[in-house]
Amino acid sequence: MKIRHEIILAGILALTFQAGAQDVIQITKQTSHLIPVSITGFSGEAESVLKFDLSVLGIEVSEPADYLISGKNEGRVEGSLTQAGVPRPIFLRAYAGGNTRSQAHAFANDIIKELRQSSPIFQTKIAFRVSRGGSTEICVSDFDGNNPVVLTHDNALVEAPSWFPGGHALLYTSWMTRNTVQIFEHNLATGARKLFAGYPGLNCSAEISPDGRKAAMILSKSGSPNLYVCDSDGGHLKQLTHTREEDSCPCWSSDSREICFVCRSGRAVLQKISADGGTPVPVHVSGVYGNLTAPDWSPDGSKIAFTIGSGNFSICVMPAGGGEAEKLVAGEDPCWAPNSRTIIFTQRRNDRRVLCLLDVPTKHVKDIRQLSGSCSEPSWAR
Amino acid sequence: MKNLSLFGVFIVTTALLASGCHRKPTSLTPIPGMEHQQGQNEGVGSGTAMPGEGGVTSTPANHGEGIAMSANGKFADLLNGPHNEDREKFKADTVYFDFDKSSVKASEEGKLQDVATYFKGNNSDALIVEGNCDERGTEKYNLALGERRALSVREYLANLGMDPQRIKTVSYGFSKPVETGHNEAAWKQNRRADLVLVTPK
Repeated sequence: MKIRHEIILAGILALTFQAGAQDVIQITKQTSHLIPVSITGFSGEAESVLKFDLSVLGIEVSEPADYLISGKNEGRVEGSLTQAGVPRPIFLRAYAGGNTRSQAHAFANDIIKELRQSSPIFQTKIAFRVSRGGSTEICVSDFDGNNPVVLTHDNALVEAPSWFPGGHALLYTSWMTRNTVQIFEHNLATGARKLFAGYPGLNCSAEISPDGRKAAMILSKSGSPNLYVCDSDGGHLKQLTHTREEDSCPCWSSDSREICFVCRSGRAVLQKISADGGTPVPVHVSGVYGNLTAPDWSPDGSKIAFTIGSGNFSICVMPAGGGEAEKLVAGEDPCWAPNSRTIIFTQRRNDRRVLCLLDVPTKHVKDIRQLSGSCSEPSWAR
Repeated sequence: MKNLSLFGVFIVTTALLASGCHRKPTSLTPIPGMEHQQGQNEGVGSGTAMPGEGGVTSTPANHGEGIAMSANGKFADLLNGPHNEDREKFKADTVYFDFDKSSVKASEEGKLQDVATYFKGNNSDALIVEGNCDERGTEKYNLALGERRALSVREYLANLGMDPQRIKTVSYGFSKPVETGHNEAAWKQNRRADLVLVTPK
């Protein structure tokens, strides 16, 4: 899958190490601030990809630049990153394989590793729901909305795509069987799909645990929509909650041991429960009030993002253990990127829904490339 | 009808007092297919109106988790197999809900009385209850809320004597609005359960 071929000149390598200590101080300071850079020498697709990617993590073309990014894209992408006022670059690399777009993404990944110390996300995939007229389908694309592939063609409602770890398959909720809401597993390599959960009543909102061993989902076969877990092949079903009011929106802790979900008790609140069962524990949230729905636990385990509101939605982030929540931006249904820094979410604009990226520390928001129709329920492969 | 509802509250209250909120009421006739889970669901939401509820609410007598579903039997075969669907028959009986609530309001009870009466005289027919929401919830949340609404209708009809295995629920979240506006006039039309008559082919 790696398409990058690095050319590292011996002299540059030595200088990278030399410049290291000085950079760390400056980079730590800038984690939550926009970083002004200059980008020179690139053109067309390479330039636009580079600018978009860096902007997603709060690195913007602006004067005076703290870092200089220069290079060219003649045949292949070559580029360097240099701190302003420092004569030698932090790195200089050339990229081969793939195409101009993927080479530019690889270069942007290398810049992010240096300037944000965060794991690369520019060659990752997302899945989402696209609605056009009366039909809805599941779509997979690059993280920025490019290279979209529509996976389903069922002429039926479909919702809530979510990835298996490693990205080989998706689960989604489909109405393709008349008057029936079921969860299907869709293999991305072969296109083959199979029924994952088809119990009497509602089967929806399946999420595979980060270790790939379990699935959490909502079933109503007991007579109320409750939280269940099963093995990732659908076996060993176990009911975790027994409320009369509905439970919804499960998500997994990074260690695959707990599930955070929504329980309606007067209003929608967040609860956590062990994946082995037990008593649900309310998550204490301060600083915001209203219906709390659509939680997503960051892959590094430190934070939970969620949606607050009823109609006028906002994205909030709080410590995973609960506590003070910060309201960040208008939108709903957040999903963390593998870097635990970027969030993809849905924004309603008039009669349309669009997908946006949020850089949590800087609150910087960018639209991804939009398909026609409405796009919602983003899920980031991680 | 009002008497029935008051009677229900009386039963629930009595049962709660007797049990100290720790057990399901035992004075009620169990409904076939109901899942009994001892030692679980202690006192959860039993027989109480939700805070902030505007109107009078009625609570199904079998409160607990709800009435378990069956994948087998004559009516499961009818509901999941070939059948005719009539969306007009109970059009006037569409059940409307308060915002973010799933309980059957007093104003809707007469509609369900009529529906239950129909099924007493038509023993081979079945019902699909479609739960819907307005747009003021996130998608996955609304999907569960829509199902809860449909299940509340199912429970209400079961309490009126209808076999719950004759009723299939399906949630559409907010994917099937009847009004597309972004205001209360539209939202109140969309917070609903549509009732579809199912007859053998």
